[in-house]
Amino acid sequence: MGWLRSLLRGSKSLADKRARNAEIDEELEAFIGESVSEKMRGGMCLKDAVKAAHAEAGTAATVREKVWSAGWESTLDRLWGDLTYSLRRLSHAPALVFTVVLSIGLGIAANSTVFSMVSKFVLAPPPVGDPAAFVSLFRTYDHGQCCNYFPAPVYRDVREQAKSFSDVAAYYDAVPASIGSGGESKREWGQAATENYFEAARLKMAAGRGFAASEESSPVIVLGYRLWQQRFGGDAGVIGKTVDVSGHPFTVVGVAREGFRGLDPVLDPQFWVPLGTLPELVAQATDPQSRLAQWLHIVARLKPGVTKDEASRELDVIAQRLATAHPRTDKGNGIVLKRLDYLGRNEAALHMFLLALSVVALLVLAIACANVANLLLSHGAQRQREMAVRLALGATHAQLLRQILLESILLALAGGAAGVLLSLWATYGLSSFKLPAPVATDISVHVDWRVLLYTFALSVAAGLLCGFVPAWTASRPAVPGALKGESALARPGRRLTLRSVLVVAQVSLSLVLLCGAGLFLRSLESAMKIDVGFRSRGIAMMAVDPQLLRYAPERTVQMLRDARERIAHLPGVISATTTDGVPLSGGHRSDGFVVPGYPAPQSADSVELYMAGPQYFETLGIPRIAGRDLGDENPTAPKAAIVNEEFVRRYLHGDNPIGHTVTGGGVPYQIVGVVKDTKARTIGEQQRPVLYRAIAQNIASDPSGDGYTIMARYEGDSAALIKAMQDQIHAVDPALAVFNVQTMEEHMQEALLLPRFVSTLFTVFGVSGLLLALIGLYSVMSYSVSQRTKEIGIRMALGAKATEVQRMVVRGGMRLALVSVVLGLPLALAAAKLTTSLLYGVKPWDVATFTLVPLLLVAVSLVACWVPSRRAARVDPMVALRVD
Amino acid sequence: MPEKSSELVQGTLEMLVLKTLALMPMHGYGIALRIEQISDGAFKVNPGSLLPALSRMERAGQVKGEWRETENNRRAKYYALTEKGRKALKSETAAWGRQVAAINRILEA
Repeated sequence: MGWLRSLLRGSKSLADKRARNAEIDEELEAFIGESVSEKMRGGMCLKDAVKAAHAEAGTAATVREKVWSAGWESTLDRLWGDLTYSLRRLSHAPALVFTVVLSIGLGIAANSTVFSMVSKFVLAPPPVGDPAAFVSLFRTYDHGQCCNYFPAPVYRDVREQAKSFSDVAAYYDAVPASIGSGGESKREWGQAATENYFEAARLKMAAGRGFAASEESSPVIVLGYRLWQQRFGGDAGVIGKTVDVSGHPFTVVGVAREGFRGLDPVLDPQFWVPLGTLPELVAQATDPQSRLAQWLHIVARLKPGVTKDEASRELDVIAQRLATAHPRTDKGNGIVLKRLDYLGRNEAALHMFLLALSVVALLVLAIACANVANLLLSHGAQRQREMAVRLALGATHAQLLRQILLESILLALAGGAAGVLLSLWATYGLSSFKLPAPVATDISVHVDWRVLLYTFALSVAAGLLCGFVPAWTASRPAVPGALKGESALARPGRRLTLRSVLVVAQVSLSLVLLCGAGLFLRSLESAMKIDVGFRSRGIAMMAVDPQLLRYAPERTVQMLRDARERIAHLPGVISATTTDGVPLSGGHRSDGFVVPGYPAPQSADSVELYMAGPQYFETLGIPRIAGRDLGDENPTAPKAAIVNEEFVRRYLHGDNPIGHTVTGGGVPYQIVGVVKDTKARTIGEQQRPVLYRAIAQNIASDPSGDGYTIMARYEGDSAALIKAMQDQIHAVDPALAVFNVQTMEEHMQEALLLPRFVSTLFTVFGVSGLLLALIGLYSVMSYSVSQRTKEIGIRMALGAKATEVQRMVVRGGMRLALVSVVLGLPLALAAAKLTTSLLYGVKPWDVATFTLVPLLLVAVSLVACWVPSRRAARVDPMVALRVD
Repeated sequence: MPEKSSELVQGTLEMLVLKTLALMPMHGYGIALRIEQISDGAFKVNPGSLLPALSRMERAGQVKGEWRETENNRRAKYYALTEKGRKALKSETAAWGRQVAAINRILEA
């Protein structure tokens, strides 16, 4: 209880300092009074007694100070005093505060924005209960190569045999379905999970419950929080009601809690159905008896007390047992246990990418800190006199140091706050980037508590870092000189000052950043110029999935034909076609091919498969080189196909392919034409072999898993056309949900995600760095001019011309800039080497970048030196010599 | 300097104050005078160290202060030992005894 009393008393005396001081004074007076009485009793006269008593007791102020320092509140009080003093001082230098807060704000914003990505993709624990005991399993192949998903029978084997886990659940990660009925139905992405999924993940539900043990294949559904809010108004009454899922009645049993988007960090599923209902919802669901199709994610919860090593050993035993029992399918395959949020092969790449970004962001902060240190140094130099006076009056070095450091930490915290505001805006901007994938994804990033904590720590560290050197020098003035107003830092004749070193470091680092920005901008430019081989503008696209309405294949073919013809006749539409997938959407469908009479190609790449309706090549503007076009082929005739030139090169050694029959995935196709190459998966890829097959002939045998897209090449207003296209589709069947509505321009923007993302980031970083370096150079030059006013005055009095003085100042500044460029260029070249894998069509030692950027930097430095040099040239010798 | 007054051994002031107050409640000067008299003038306690010590001890709950009239008709703060103070005195005296014995053993060895 002692500390409580101490706290109460301390707070009381802080709250009413005057009362406490009066009490101390009164007690001291009584002490002295009694002492005087005692001394007079001993025979002294009043005067002597008073004198002696006061001499013994010391001054009231000292005693007061000592009593105060006995309690904890004095430390707080001193700190508060320092704080208010700092604030008062800083309020007199608004320009300094503004520059420093802006500098640190930029640096911190870069870091907290990057860290918000780290927080989302690396640090945030998976959204399940007790994540440490919840693990993912993967299937290895070729004796240890990672990672594949699981065939359903292997899942069942593991679930039955493994004793290390209390729960083993599985899910299939991307199930499309139209939810709702009539014209209101919308296509959503969800997941199909085993009945124990919610129990194993220990998920809290926003409403209702997860699946029950008996609901292995019951028509029940758990809604995602966003879907629940958007479509059902967040009404808890929806539990127990029936909703239409792709034409089937499903009973809503629960709503997942807010923010739960499945166990994958990128996908954005909005409903969950039992795995057993999958065949009803998806055309051609994977065969649950096949030991070959690898499609299920397995997650498992360790039993209490079982370690991951023990569980791994058990999985090895199970894998061996399975390999013996099913040698044809399971031999050479293993089962490995990984962290729940393990990203497989992509993980190392993602971590490297984030690490590189963090380093770049720290670089920006380093530039900002150098800048601030510089500003504080010159600010501190102006305070040498004040410091000397305070030292002379008895302040200790430590006290001064503490005070100045407090000031820089205050500034850095204000900068941190500005940085958080900036990064709120930046993360909002970043979240608008979308992955070019047909499934629903969520890569939005947010400023969460981890980011705030990191930002706070970084701000304090930045404050200490950029405050320490200026604080050290300022708290140690050469007292005798400083009292007269001389600055210890402005010793004439000293060439290499701390301030110049800081400026050089700053400018060369910003050169590195700017070269990065230049490279990525050039890369974006060349990526945008890459010839994708098809028309990249003036096409409107939208998708439907008739299978969600349980259409038979013949009806799907008929529906697509009707919709295409109606749309082709709309005013403004030049041509229209149908397909099963838009190029440049990441991966699409592909298969290995065999051409009778020709050896298999060296690089056994699979062939990209696209379905094409009538006018496909005309609409996409892909030139046909030989043969005929695909039309409304007869579904029962032999399958016709058109291949691209790369296919001919790779599989037919350049021979005329027309008339050949090629086989892919066990299906023979007769080649009827050849077209020019196009990019298939990504913009930066090497040319891939592509085979286009007639849509009408393949919907029945190989239906698309994520619907069919209708594309229209148009002239005029896209918005009006898109509305008209939707109306035409609904005229065929009003129940069809239309999704993925976009123009080709929008799609191309998404396809350029990586180069756009990287170049945006680097441009922002680079420009911030340049801005900071400029401020640094400018402040150093103008400070040096103000320090040398007297010297310049003497020079001019002795006959130097204004232009000569100006040239002298500019030369001094440009020397710093040139040294920075010389030091920065090799650094920038070395850093550029690391970015090779991120560049499209640009060499890391791109000549244009590495000549233009240094030139730009030098030009901008010239401006930064020229402004202060003007001031130097206007120095009036008469005034300058009268200073002091 | 008429007579040599020694510095108090560090940390012993509070113990001496506790011991002095164990007889009866006293005001600050009374405590200082008493310590000086009993030590035959060897220890002089000035208010610069006595008042902070009293403040600390009051915070710790070892003494309790009360403003009263002195015999010279002045208002002064009288300090009285609390139960906690009594315990502290006992334990500090014991600890001091052990320390002195140990130091003596070392010096005589």
